[in-house]
Amino acid sequence: MKLTSLNRSLALLVFASVVAAACAAPPPAAQQPAQQPAQQQEAAQQPAEQLPPGWKAGIPKNPPDRKGKKLVIRDVPKLIGIGYFAATTKGMEEAARELGNIDFKTDAPTEAKIEKQIEFIDNFITQGVDVILFAANDPVAIAPVLKKALDQGIIVVGYDADAQEDARQFFVNQATFEAIGQALIEDMVSQVGPDAEVAIVTSSLTAPNQNRWIEEMKKYAAAKYPNLKFVVTLPSEEDQQLAFKATQDIMKTYPNVKGVFGLSSVAFPGAADAVKQAGKCGQIAVVGLSTPNQMRPFVKEGCVKSVILWNPIDLGYAAVYAARAIADGELKPGATSLKAGRLGELKVNGSEILLGPPFIFNKDNIDNFDF
Amino acid sequence: MATSTTRWATPARRSGVTLQQEGVIAAAILGLTVVVSLANPDFFNTTNLLDIVVNTAYIAVAAAGMTMVIVSGNIDISVGSMLGVCATIAGELARNGAPVPLAFAVAVLAGSVMGAVNGILVAYARIPAIVVTLGMLSILRGGLILVTQGRWIESLPEAFFFSQRSTLGIPNPVWVMLIVVGLVWLFMKYHRWGRAIYAVGGNAEAARLAGINPQHVQFFVFVVNGVLVGLAAVLYASRFTAIQSNAGQGFELAVISGTVVGGVSILGGTGSVIGALLGSLLISQIGTAAIFLKVSPFWLQAVQGGLILLTVLIDVLRRRRFA
Amino acid sequence: MTTETRAATSAQPSRLLSALRTQEGVLFLVLVVIVIVLSLLSDRFLTVNNLLNQTRLFTETALLALPMTLIIISGGIDLSVGSMLAWSAVMLGFSWQLLGLPLPLAVVVCLLTGAIGGAINGALIAYVRVPPLIATLATLAIYRGFSFGISQARSARGFPEEFAFWGQGQVGPFPTQFLILVVLIVAMHLLLARTGFGRWVYAIGNNELAARYSGIPVERVKFTLYTLSGLMAGLAAFIFTSRVTTTRADAATGLELDVIAAVVLGGTSIFGGSGSIIGTMLGLVIITLLRNGLLLTGVKGDATFMVIGLVLIAAVLINNLVRRR
Repeated sequence: MKLTSLNRSLALLVFASVVAAACAAPPPAAQQPAQQPAQQQEAAQQPAEQLPPGWKAGIPKNPPDRKGKKLVIRDVPKLIGIGYFAATTKGMEEAARELGNIDFKTDAPTEAKIEKQIEFIDNFITQGVDVILFAANDPVAIAPVLKKALDQGIIVVGYDADAQEDARQFFVNQATFEAIGQALIEDMVSQVGPDAEVAIVTSSLTAPNQNRWIEEMKKYAAAKYPNLKFVVTLPSEEDQQLAFKATQDIMKTYPNVKGVFGLSSVAFPGAADAVKQAGKCGQIAVVGLSTPNQMRPFVKEGCVKSVILWNPIDLGYAAVYAARAIADGELKPGATSLKAGRLGELKVNGSEILLGPPFIFNKDNIDNFDF
Repeated sequence: MATSTTRWATPARRSGVTLQQEGVIAAAILGLTVVVSLANPDFFNTTNLLDIVVNTAYIAVAAAGMTMVIVSGNIDISVGSMLGVCATIAGELARNGAPVPLAFAVAVLAGSVMGAVNGILVAYARIPAIVVTLGMLSILRGGLILVTQGRWIESLPEAFFFSQRSTLGIPNPVWVMLIVVGLVWLFMKYHRWGRAIYAVGGNAEAARLAGINPQHVQFFVFVVNGVLVGLAAVLYASRFTAIQSNAGQGFELAVISGTVVGGVSILGGTGSVIGALLGSLLISQIGTAAIFLKVSPFWLQAVQGGLILLTVLIDVLRRRRFA
Repeated sequence: MTTETRAATSAQPSRLLSALRTQEGVLFLVLVVIVIVLSLLSDRFLTVNNLLNQTRLFTETALLALPMTLIIISGGIDLSVGSMLAWSAVMLGFSWQLLGLPLPLAVVVCLLTGAIGGAINGALIAYVRVPPLIATLATLAIYRGFSFGISQARSARGFPEEFAFWGQGQVGPFPTQFLILVVLIVAMHLLLARTGFGRWVYAIGNNELAARYSGIPVERVKFTLYTLSGLMAGLAAFIFTSRVTTTRADAATGLELDVIAAVVLGGTSIFGGSGSIIGTMLGLVIITLLRNGLLLTGVKGDATFMVIGLVLIAAVLINNLVRRR
C-alpha cells in the first residue's frame, strides 16, 4: 500500500513538474528556433523596390513562374453545406471554366469552425497547390497558416471575410462594411420611420463580419437617426430554428419593437418566418442580408420588402479572376484595376478589390436571380 | 412466462420513484413560470406558453425515442443527422410532386431504416452504441451535404406545412407530441415489451434468465427511435417556409439534455418518458425565460446552464435525503 | 538444446499473434493498412514533414483525450472539455490584455482556470454525486457562457512573437507542442498502467461498490481525474492560443465529440473498467491520418466525414470478430 501511494505521488509529481516546466516558465526569446531570424532576413531580401509605399499586405515568397500555366486553385470558405457558399463556388467554377487551364475545387469543414478550417488550409499547403482562396472564420486565427502558405510561394486571396492584411495578398471585398450598414439602416428607416425600437438577430456573437456591420449600423444610426433605438442583439448560430425562436422572444419581450434585422442568410429567413407566423407582416418590418432563393417566398408575400446582398456568384467569379491575374503578373501591388471577365473592370484600392455597391432585391427583380 | 399470455401487465413498482422525479421537474417549471411572470408579466400569456411547447414538440418526440434507447442501456448520438436526412427526404419528395402524406410516410420509414441499421450493429454485431451512433452521425451528415450541397428546399406545396396548422385550436405539433408521449408512456409502463426494456437496461443477464432476448429488445428500441426521429423530422420540416438542408446540427445534445435532465438514468433501467418531456420543456422554457429577464446575450448560456444545474442539484439532494 | 529452441520459436509467433489480437494490435493493423493505402494514393502523405505537421493539428485533442481515457475507464465522462478550453483561453487573453498581467502569469491564470473548472466538475460528481453526464452537460453550457460573458465575445490578439513558440515553434525537427505531448503521453501511460492510482481507476470502473469496500478513496480519485481533465484543457488552451494567436469565446465548440471518438475507437469501454492510453493514441492517429491522407488524395471533406464514420464502426467490428474467435 505504501509502495503504491509512493508510486502514485511520484507519477503525479512527474506530471506536475512537466506541466509546470512546460507552462510556468516564461517563453524566453533565446529559445526561439534559429531559423526564425533567418526567415526574416530572407523576407528582407525580397525585391522591396517593387512594392508601392504603404503596402501592408503579404506577398508569396519566391513564387515559381506561373504565367499562362495551369493553376491548381483550392477554395476554403467558412463552411460548406450552406446556400451562400454554394453560390460563391458556382461563380468560381464559372470563372475557372471561362479561363480554362484551371484545376478548381472547393473544400471546407461542414461547420464554421476556425480550427477545422486551419486544418484544411494546412493540408492544401502540403498538397502543393498554386492558389488558396479563403473566407476566414477568424481574421487573426487564420493568419499563421496563411502566412505559411505565402512562405511556400502560394498565392493567397481572400473573399467575403478578410484575414489580417499581412496574411494574404488581395481581398475581394463584396461591399464595404459602411455601405452595408447604411443600406440596412436606410431600408429599415424607410419602413418603420426614424423613431422606432429595433432588434438584431445575428449569426454568432463572435462572427467578425456581422460584428462590423452592427458597429457600422449603430454608428450611422447614431449620427443620422438618433431616435432609432437598438433594444437587443441575439445570436442564432446559423440555425433557422434558433433564429425563429429568438425573433419570437424579441417580439414578446419587447412589444414596442417595430423592426428586426436578420444579419445572415439563415437569421433573415428565420426572423421573417417568425414574424409571418405570428401574423405580424406589415406591423413588424424585417430587414437583412440573405440570398434571393431563401427569401423569395417572403418577398412575394410582401412580408419582406427587400433583401440586401451583393451577388455571391460574382464574388466567387471575381476571386478566381484575381488569382489568375496575380499568377500572370497582371495584378501586382500598386495596381488600380482588375479585368474580371463579364464583370468588366473592377476597382482596386490598395490590396482590396471592390465588387461594387450592395445590391437590393425586391418583388420586381428577385425572380431574375437563382442562388 | 406467464406474462407472455397477458401482454399488458400491472405497472412496475419503481414508478413511484420516477413520479417524484418528474414532480421536481414539474415544480421547477411552475416555479420558473411564477418567478419570470412576476418580473415580466408578458411571460404569463397563452401565446407565449404555447409557443414554448410548440418549439419543444419536435425535441420531445425525439426525446421519447431517446428515453427508450437510454433506458435500454444505450445511447443514440446520430439523431441530429437522422433528423436532417429525414427532413430533406420529406421536403424533396413533396417539392417534386409526391402527395404530402406519402412524403411524410417515407421520411418516417427512412428514420426506421436508419434506426434498424443502428439496431443491427448494436444488438447483433455487439458494437457499443456510442461507437455506432458516432459513426452514423458522421456518415449521415457527410452524405447529406454531399447530396444537397447546401441548397435549401423551398417552394413547398401549401399542404406540406402541417406544423403551422392547428386542430381544435391546438397546434398540430402539440397534438403529435402528446399522442407520442402518451403512447410511449403506456407502452413502457404496461406492455410486456416495454417493461422488457427496463429489464434489459437494468440487468441484461437477469433479463435473459427471465426469458427476454436482450438483443431483440435492443434492436426493437433503435427501430422505434428511428421512427420517432422521422416523426420529429416531419414536425421540424413542416414548421418553416423552407427546409435548411444542414438541419439538426447539435440536435442530439438538445434531445439527450432533455432526457437526462428529466431523470432518465444514463446507466439504463430507470426513467420515464414523462420525465423526458418535462425535461425538454424545462430547458426550452429556461432559454425563453432568460431572454424575458433581459439577461445580457453574452451571459445567456451561462445562466441557462446554471439553471439546469440548479434543477439537477435539487433533485440529487432531495433523493439523497430520502435515500 | 534442440527442444528448447523449438519451444522458443513456436512461442514467438503465438505471442505475436496474441499481441495482435488485443484491441491495440487490431488498431495497429488497421493503422498500417490505412498508411499503406494512403501512401500509395498520394506521394505527399508519407513524408516526415507532413506527419510532423499533423502533430501540430492534433495536440490539443490528444491532450484532452489523455485524461478522458482515465475518466471513461473510471465509468464517467467529461463533456465540458471544449468549453473549459475556451474559458481558459479567454481568461488567458482577458488577464493579459485587459488586466495587464505579464504573459507568463496569464498562462498560469489559464491553467488555473482549467483546473478550477475541472475541480468544480469533480466536486459535483464525486461529492455531490451528480451523474457525470448531467453535471458536465450543464457545465458545458456554463463554461461556454463564461467565455462569452467574460470576453463579451471579443477576441484578444496581438500576442508577442516569442509567444508563438509553444504552438508554432519547433525544437530541433519537432514541433514544440509535440514534445510536450509525448512527455505527457508517457507520464499518463505510466500513471495508468504502472501505479496504484491507475489500478484504482480500473477498479472503480469495474465495480465502484467493490472498490469502495476494498478501501479505495473513490471520491478522491474521481475528483483528481476531473481536475486533471480541467488542467489539461487549460494546457491545451495555452497551446491552442499560441498556435492561432488569438482567443475566441467559441473556440473548440464540439471538440468533446472528437475526443470521445478517439477514446472509444481506441478500445476504451464506455461502460468503464477497460482501456488504455496507447489505444486512445492509436485511435486519434488513425482519425487524424485518415482526414489528412484523404484530403491529400483529393477526397472532399464531406466524403471524408463519411469514411471516418465507417472506419470507426468497422474498426470496432473487426476487433469484435477477431477477439470472439
